[in-house]
Amino acid sequence: MKNLEYLKNLLDAHPELQYEIIEQYWTTDFLRFYHSQTNYNISKEVTSLNATIYKGKKSFSFMLDNANSQTIDNAVQDALSIIDKLPEDPYFVDLENDKTLAKPREVINNIEVVPLKLKTEVLARIANAVAPYNFDIFGSFVCNYQKYRLVNSNGLDKISVSSPYYLEVKAVHNKSQVTVVEAFGGEDFQYFQERNFLDKLLQKIGYCAYDIVDIEPGTYDVILAPRCLGEFTQYLAYGMSARALDQHSSFFEGKLNQKVFPEWVSVCDDPNDPEMIHKDYGSNGHIYRYLSLIDQGIFRNFMCDNYYSHKTGLPKNGNTGSCLKIEAGEKTLDELIGSIKRGLFISSLHYMNFINPKETSITGLTRDGTFLIENGKITKVVNNLRFTEKIARIFEHIQALENRSHPVPFSGNYSIFDIETVKSPHALVKDFNISSSTKTI
Amino acid sequence: MEQIIKQTIQKLSLPEITFADVRITHTDNEFIAFQNGYLRAYGTNLDSIALGIRVLINGCWGFAGTQDLSNHSIDKAINTAISNARYGSLFQKNKVEFPPLSPVQAEYEHHPEQDPFKMPKEEKIGYLHKLAEAIKPQGKIVHSVVYAMFMRQEKYYTNSEGTYSHSTYYNTLPMMEVLASDGAQVQSRTWPGHMGAGRAGFELFHKHKFEENTERIIREATDLLSAPTIEEDKADIIIGSGHLALQLHESVGHATEADRIFGMEISYAGKTFIKPEMIGSFQYASPQVNIFSDSTDPRGMGYHPVDDEGVVGKKVDIIKNGILVNQQTSRQIAHLLGLEPSSNMKASYGDDFPLVRMTNFCLAPGEGTLDQLIADTEHGYLLDFTKTWSIDDNRNNFQFTTEIGYRIEKGKIVGIVKEPTYYGITKEFWNSCDRVCGPEEWDYQSTFSCGKGEPGQSMQLSHGVAPARFRNIDVRVKI
Repeated sequence: MKNLEYLKNLLDAHPELQYEIIEQYWTTDFLRFYHSQTNYNISKEVTSLNATIYKGKKSFSFMLDNANSQTIDNAVQDALSIIDKLPEDPYFVDLENDKTLAKPREVINNIEVVPLKLKTEVLARIANAVAPYNFDIFGSFVCNYQKYRLVNSNGLDKISVSSPYYLEVKAVHNKSQVTVVEAFGGEDFQYFQERNFLDKLLQKIGYCAYDIVDIEPGTYDVILAPRCLGEFTQYLAYGMSARALDQHSSFFEGKLNQKVFPEWVSVCDDPNDPEMIHKDYGSNGHIYRYLSLIDQGIFRNFMCDNYYSHKTGLPKNGNTGSCLKIEAGEKTLDELIGSIKRGLFISSLHYMNFINPKETSITGLTRDGTFLIENGKITKVVNNLRFTEKIARIFEHIQALENRSHPVPFSGNYSIFDIETVKSPHALVKDFNISSSTKTI
Repeated sequence: MEQIIKQTIQKLSLPEITFADVRITHTDNEFIAFQNGYLRAYGTNLDSIALGIRVLINGCWGFAGTQDLSNHSIDKAINTAISNARYGSLFQKNKVEFPPLSPVQAEYEHHPEQDPFKMPKEEKIGYLHKLAEAIKPQGKIVHSVVYAMFMRQEKYYTNSEGTYSHSTYYNTLPMMEVLASDGAQVQSRTWPGHMGAGRAGFELFHKHKFEENTERIIREATDLLSAPTIEEDKADIIIGSGHLALQLHESVGHATEADRIFGMEISYAGKTFIKPEMIGSFQYASPQVNIFSDSTDPRGMGYHPVDDEGVVGKKVDIIKNGILVNQQTSRQIAHLLGLEPSSNMKASYGDDFPLVRMTNFCLAPGEGTLDQLIADTEHGYLLDFTKTWSIDDNRNNFQFTTEIGYRIEKGKIVGIVKEPTYYGITKEFWNSCDRVCGPEEWDYQSTFSCGKGEPGQSMQLSHGVAPARFRNIDVRVKI
């Protein structure tokens, strides 16, 4: 982190400037596998220094990879030579001033704890377990280690270290291509129970023995698996940001403290749940704290950073929706499935995109296991299906939630490979709009 | 750099390594974003260096990437790549293998008309500020953005077969967008759309006639607020070049990346409905449709003299007179399919693992102008400017919404519709294509953000297209 210090000292010599500097070190050991064998192993290290320099309401940013004093000098000189000539951002007021430090915690480097040899051994056992059913495994087994330090001219100096791991296994039938998925992620590999992971995967493989059918477009009562409800919640949370509100793209505009969903729906952003991947700091170094978003169906808070707090007048919290949690309900999964006369069990979603974010209209597809439920039991495998829906309507139509929530890891796969968790129960949703079939598995 | 990369490949001449390659990229990026008329962000990422080492040991790939070109760091990366391949081979059933290629040497340097990294910053800002002022909130416009991204990348590549390549190019992404609201709903219009990037410098703003189109997007976004939606179940549609590029990208381009046939992308991007036995006989499209992959055309962002595993740039027919005849391949996959490698292995940066990627993936031109095609259409819609897109795991079922549709009656545009949405099954859709416009309408449409692979890579690539008509398409999607 000596580059950060060097840059900070340079900028401190200019009292007319404000600044925010972030130095980030990220490394990954990334095993990708297909057909029950290694595809490739990647090890990669990235070191970046990001700075935004402000002079009044004018700003200029630069990012340097693997910086040194020479490249830092050049970048600062470049910034200082242009900043006076730039137009202002009239809404910039001040940088983050929340100096609260996160509680120190011990971070294990999972790249060392879960070396490649161990990964291949675990995968070989999983591959052997599914092989008798004529399934191969595909997926990725990833360990990251990342260190982040943020300083700014208001005296913030924050360091965060994390080392998440992520295992996603898709079991694919070699003939029918029917696919099921099981994933596990977190920060302490001791929580990974291989037997439990395998049992869940094998249970799903058991459903794949049923016949494959196609279904007609229309509305269906559906069970959304935790990763589906979690992913819908992530998309819904876009509209819970002050940025979306400011850009007139938020479904929640004008709905603060209003009832938007049934009272059994509560959503929060909770970095302290031990089953989820922890987050120390949010936007611009603000401490990351629990934030209620939907409380018993009532919309409670926008996620708001320092900039948009000044611009919109909303209270600042620094949350980014990185630790979303949907509160559990009262029914068992068997009870939820048992309550459906004819409907669908949806395991996973694919390629969702907003049609109109303000209206939360969206289209996407089911993937990795879609099953027909008849008379309260899973009876068939269904081809992957397209849905065209409004996420707000899906939440309005939640009839019941499972009595336990499951942590689901998600990978943010652009730029660096980031790993987050969402915690969600299964949900029973009525009148889910299936708009067409893919006619394939 | 040349010396470093050649020294590195020499260090990889070890008996257990059956193939190795090394790439180094030196990249400059600059971005400028105006929002509602004011400068929201301006920044650079200059002199970004990345090196990647890929080795094949015991039939298994190992890879290591670093941004540090010191001897110590490169030696560490070599050892890591070797170790990754050795341990990876413990979980291996079928060894990676492919025939050798003759070595080639290649040099290429692209010169944009207006080098964005040499232009004074004030000039760029001044130009974009003027555009931002022109589209800032007014009337029913409540939000606006003007955005520019410039990239210069110098790439060095070498492999254990003796191939060496050095190339430099510039890509630019220009964009503006307005959002209109009547309080109850919002509608947006972009210019020049989501495929407006190109192999060019700052001149791309002038080529796309930004100044001449500020009033148009304001007017159209506002008009969309009160525009009707498509009411019929099926309609003939003409797809404009910007959106057709995405249709081609999603339903043919990705579908014919042959790593998907072997399940190498199941864990993220997905599979394909194509099976090896379809190559040579599958009626993918109507006979009017010819599609090719062409990394030899320097006008597109997919141009390269040599790809990222040493295959010289090629033009390869993928669909010939409607029949699927080839695939986009790596050397390993081409060998498995009994094909020649198509020169489609690309890594976004030096420290990225190369993947099968589209380069310049093109729909060959047919005949006639867009005006003639509209005049030849009794009733239908001209759809352009992508709003949303989605396609399934097998690249079979797609659904697209464009920002705007222009209603055609008796050969003339008579009005607009909002959020026109159509869906289809890939084979049926491409077989419904009855006409592609001619060379006078054909041009490259390009993107900065084609995501694939894990860890994710965002590829810059192009599609040569001309507007085309598709008959009797399902447009009955109701939201």
